[in-house]
Amino acid sequence: MPQAPETKRPKHDDKPGSATRDLAARIARAQGERKVRAEQARDGAAKDMSGFSRGLRLGSEFIAAVIVGGGIGYLLDLWLKTSPWLLLVMVLIGFAAGVVNVARSASQMNKAAPPPPGSDLGPDDDEDDDR
Amino acid sequence: MADPNKVDPIHQFALTDIVSFGEGGLSFTNSALFMVLTVGVTCIFLLASTSRRSIVPSRAQALSEMLYEFVANMVRDSAGKEGMKFFPFVFSLFMFVLIANLFGMFPFFFSVTSHIIVTFALAMLVILTVIIYGVWRNGFRFLKLFVPAGVPAYVLPIVVPIEVVSFLSRPVSLSVRLFANILAGHITLKVFAGFVVTMGSLGLLGWLGALLPLVMTVAITALEFLVAALQAYVFAVLTCLYLNDAIHPSH
Repeated sequence: MPQAPETKRPKHDDKPGSATRDLAARIARAQGERKVRAEQARDGAAKDMSGFSRGLRLGSEFIAAVIVGGGIGYLLDLWLKTSPWLLLVMVLIGFAAGVVNVARSASQMNKAAPPPPGSDLGPDDDEDDDR
Repeated sequence: MADPNKVDPIHQFALTDIVSFGEGGLSFTNSALFMVLTVGVTCIFLLASTSRRSIVPSRAQALSEMLYEFVANMVRDSAGKEGMKFFPFVFSLFMFVLIANLFGMFPFFFSVTSHIIVTFALAMLVILTVIIYGVWRNGFRFLKLFVPAGVPAYVLPIVVPIEVVSFLSRPVSLSVRLFANILAGHITLKVFAGFVVTMGSLGLLGWLGALLPLVMTVAITALEFLVAALQAYVFAVLTCLYLNDAIHPSH
């Protein structure tokens, strides 16, 4: 098959400068492909990393709120001598705050979740800056 | 370890005085030494690698430029353009936690971030920055952080305490997460490594059995490197998110 490379070769013998243009287009296309591939790789790595960190983050957010609520209740009880009522109330409030924390971080994570690879987002997405 | 049956996984976190100053209990401990080393290595590396400022970067310069870009993008994404005035703060925190965690991975080195007082001090630094900057910039509007928009007035007595506790839990969760990860990882590593020594003292069968914890030790070491980098990243990202609250105090 001697004609296979012949068809692939661009026709650049009719106009001067078309060879350079063709080369420029090919370079641009290759660079674009490389960029997309690099971004896909980075997205994959980030997703792997954040699966682990996501779990840790949600867990500690919840526990911390309960501990802080309980601690505040305990200290208020010591101060006002109302043991154990404020401790009970504040542990419940801490529990609620923990749920709020988890819901809030989960929604932040959803917002920060990367779009599926290959989707065209335009040159720059700065819409989230005014958040 | 001289006696193979006596494995002490907590011993690595003990603070020892290197230099003591008088009777007041003030002393330069191994923890302080490694904090100084962390800061020193970070400064020397960043200064040395960026001193030439070549257009085609060397490997070291490319690394520090990558670190800069990484943190700068993180700040820009989480806290917006205005957040970039906190870039030096976030970058210092990130580098300190990262290098301190990685230092902890060397055998016989002390991991600074395995003590909650260190991580809590870092978290308080973040939260106090958020509070002081938030009040200075927004005044009373900073309190809107505790009053979510669109909530009817009769629910506020319940919602406001919840929001306050939620806010106060931030430094706790920030510090406990970093400290617990590093502490638990180092203890696990030491316990599995201790199994190798203990089983190895039982003769040939022990040596064969010791292969299993040895493999685990190697795997956990790799995991610990991941955790070291990941926790520095998480710490910095959450710092950015909290700073974003100080800049725009409304949910």
